[in-house]
Amino acid sequence: MNRPEKSVTIGEYLDAKGISRRSFLKFCTINASLMALPPGTGQVMAAQLRAMKRPSVIYLSFQECTGCLESLSRSFSPSVESLIFDVISLDYDDTLMAAAGHQAEQARENAMRENWGKYVIVVDGSVPTANGGVYCTAAGKTAEAILTETAEGAAAIVAVGTCSSYGGLPKASPNPTGALPVSKIITDKPVINIPGCPPIAEVITGTLLHFLTLGVPDLDAHGRPTAFYGNAIHDRCYRRPFYDQGKFAKSFDDAGARSGWCLYELGCKGPLTYNACATVKWNDGISFPIESGHGCLGCSEPDFWDKGGFYQPIPEATFTDTEKIALAAAAGAALGAGSAVLSRWRRKKKLAEAAAGEEAS
Amino acid sequence: MNDSPGNSHTHNKISLDSAMHSFALAIGALNAMRIDSCIHCGMCAEACHFYIATEDPMYTPILKAEPFKQAYKREAGPFAPVYRLLGLKRRLTEDQLREWQHLIYDSCNLCGRCSLICPMGIDVAELIFETRRAMAAAGLAPEELQSRADNQLESGQPESGEPYINLIQDIARKYNTDIPMDLAQADVFLCVPRTDILHYPASVAALAKVMHHLGVSFTFYQDALAAENYGYYAGNREIQQKISKRLIDRAIACNAKTLVVPECGHAYSVLRWQAAELHGSALPFKVLHITEFLAHQLESGTLKLGKVDGTSFAFHDPCQLVRKGGVLDAPRVLMNALGLKLEEMANHQGFSFCCAGGGGVYDLEGARDLRYRAQQIKLREVDATGADNFLTSCSDCRLSFADAQQHFDWDKSPQSLLEIVADNLLEE
Amino acid sequence: MTLLDFARGPAMNFALSLFILGVLWRLIGTALLNLRHLYSLPRKSRSASILQGLITAGSRSWPHKEFIGRTGYGELLGYSYHIGLFIIILAFAPHITFFKGLFGITWPAMPSTWIHIISVLTFTLMIAVIVRRLTHNVLRRLSNFDDYFSWFITCLVVVTGLMASGHMGGPYETLLALHLLSLEALLIWFPFGKLMHAFYIFPSRIANGYFLARKGAPS
Repeated sequence: MNRPEKSVTIGEYLDAKGISRRSFLKFCTINASLMALPPGTGQVMAAQLRAMKRPSVIYLSFQECTGCLESLSRSFSPSVESLIFDVISLDYDDTLMAAAGHQAEQARENAMRENWGKYVIVVDGSVPTANGGVYCTAAGKTAEAILTETAEGAAAIVAVGTCSSYGGLPKASPNPTGALPVSKIITDKPVINIPGCPPIAEVITGTLLHFLTLGVPDLDAHGRPTAFYGNAIHDRCYRRPFYDQGKFAKSFDDAGARSGWCLYELGCKGPLTYNACATVKWNDGISFPIESGHGCLGCSEPDFWDKGGFYQPIPEATFTDTEKIALAAAAGAALGAGSAVLSRWRRKKKLAEAAAGEEAS
Repeated sequence: MNDSPGNSHTHNKISLDSAMHSFALAIGALNAMRIDSCIHCGMCAEACHFYIATEDPMYTPILKAEPFKQAYKREAGPFAPVYRLLGLKRRLTEDQLREWQHLIYDSCNLCGRCSLICPMGIDVAELIFETRRAMAAAGLAPEELQSRADNQLESGQPESGEPYINLIQDIARKYNTDIPMDLAQADVFLCVPRTDILHYPASVAALAKVMHHLGVSFTFYQDALAAENYGYYAGNREIQQKISKRLIDRAIACNAKTLVVPECGHAYSVLRWQAAELHGSALPFKVLHITEFLAHQLESGTLKLGKVDGTSFAFHDPCQLVRKGGVLDAPRVLMNALGLKLEEMANHQGFSFCCAGGGGVYDLEGARDLRYRAQQIKLREVDATGADNFLTSCSDCRLSFADAQQHFDWDKSPQSLLEIVADNLLEE
Repeated sequence: MTLLDFARGPAMNFALSLFILGVLWRLIGTALLNLRHLYSLPRKSRSASILQGLITAGSRSWPHKEFIGRTGYGELLGYSYHIGLFIIILAFAPHITFFKGLFGITWPAMPSTWIHIISVLTFTLMIAVIVRRLTHNVLRRLSNFDDYFSWFITCLVVVTGLMASGHMGGPYETLLALHLLSLEALLIWFPFGKLMHAFYIFPSRIANGYFLARKGAPS
């Protein structure tokens, strides 16, 4: 992925590689329209990118499963999205790079030094902080230390995947490693969250392209680009009419499921989940979980692992503590009996008082 | 409220404590459930003739029971300790009780119509009655009712004056009827409405005549003559019990199998449904209203009645007989046998509107105007039937309607069913 | 923890616990008070009186014909919104799912569109009901904090439910959280106010019918 020709522009680089202008324009236009940018932006992006030098990107992986990188690289079947690897200069990626050990670390340090203040960090995986952060170390340094050190000269940090955006699976209760999202570790640099487990490839590349050409995109309260995370799955889901009518699959592969009815009662978290799955879809727009018959897990939301079960429908109360409720019932009965006893005792007392009073008078 | 008409409050000291004691007696799971069930729907007002006549919301039945509700919630309800601790419910005050006197005595006949309409099944009349009892205990029974109760307890007569035994003997002479008195043994023990003694002596004679005709062994007792119970009207639990006890004791003393209550409404419900409860044990004799007794005799063939001519009659079902007593059909069995052309009112039998004089209201000078306004509903209903005659089977109702007849210059005189029966007895 | 997590989780548990505690406290506290034995001779047998009581439990749902002229409108209004509420609560699919989570039983739902229509009608009726309470002279005289607040908290649940299912007024997760929180407020308030009539209505009517039948009086 890494080419020694760092001084050439992206345009020159692409030409040298034999990637046609049309392909590149298509790549830029697709991404621009995905983000609902004004017409013609694709051409502007393409022109801008061709003129600039390949920006340095340092990819840091911490407590992750590599699913995010797989989604992006589509290494089993590269698509036009893999052109992103020709736009950027991926100067460090411990999964993909050929080098290892001190040489690999050296590459990172070189990239930092040579592009100080301009390089972009892409992070996947969450950062452990418990017990000094020993649960994820590389080259003798903790993840936290590596991130903090690398972030010092970064222009921006892109947290790819729910783990780096919000903590993800490692952070799920009881969070034994003390996992934290990137935005909780780095607070003095712009952090763009691209959550998802994993995120859609086009969402990652679109956001990167936007940042490289137009700067940080509009972000919502969770730091996600609104262009991709502005609508709930529910609002764009093709099965929405069934929801509105009240036609729900009751179990997997029942008549309703086979008719493509809404998966609300099978635990779909679509109404609560903001992502582009329903529109952009996966694997070049082939399908997305709901279309394949499984409810949305809500994987682009913070703490989605801890919101009840994937198969627990939204209306169900989570964590109903039957023990506590039984205790409350017992307490209620006791209080009721107690109040009746007190009332009867007071009544007897009152009647006795009155009787005594009558006798006296 | 203190200046409103009918507030004939006593000037004695009001004993809040005694009122609370009375409420304590009345509290139990049943009244607690009734009080807790109220949802303030206001339907009870639509059944109450005092509200219907005046459209004044203060006459809403459940509102009359407000002191009881308040006392219960603060003293005996499930959350009462919390309410007391946090001061969330106010203590009942003497002023409040004074304020309620008009509502409890002047504007309630204890007729029970409200209990029939309540969608939550609350016996509203019962709650009002217990509130009246607390009022009486506090010393807030109106002068007219309290003095009559005291008198009746002492002498057996609500009003002082000519002893009833003398008047009875006069009636016996005048109507040439034997009125057995103080017999040692009798199958049937009878009392007599003092209203009849004083105002409708023909009814007294009719009663004796019918009993003689049936060949029943019956007696009256001169120290337990009056059917009325002013302890009940005043709301005085103790006096009510003692007055009933007098009758019970006499019935037991003469080994009576049946205590027949003549044409008096509350006398029936008090003896039939309340006496045993206050007595603390089942009564060793049956209690029957005279219409019930006669209807039984008719059905068994021992009584035969001739037919009256074809004029039409409207019949007033006394509240204490129908709703409070459960005597719905007996009068109609008799009227049917008499061949009376009965024109039923729109609100008849169990739904009959009160004569507006019941529950002691007739005795209250201060309630007079309100009573007349409420009575108009009934008078209009009777007129609407188109009947020529008006009939009832309770002497106090009769008196109340007679008073209305005079006040409104009404064209119908209330007649007694018993008198018509007595006038149409057929020999075997 | 988001507001919705809170509303679905600890808040729901707390509200349900408090609801059960309060209801049992109130019912048992009333039921265990003294009950007098009756000595007067009943006119109808115990079983006949019980039967009449059970009949009254149903028949009091509608006023006797003698009373309808004066009460028909109010009754109709009151029952209509109750029926509306029952349909919404028991026949709307997400609610059935909620009950399934609590009790494990389920039943067929009504098409959601019908529920939306019924919800709007019910809300309108609830407005009519409070207007009646505020303008009718008897109801004005009778009504207290309990009456107004119980209406308010019920209406809040209906309104937030309409907003949530109509996705009106904010992000869905917030609307849903508000709907659940308003339900929790209702559950907590329930045992302390007139909403308890839901539990009292049948025992009270049965008792009334029983004691009237015992006397031979109409019920």
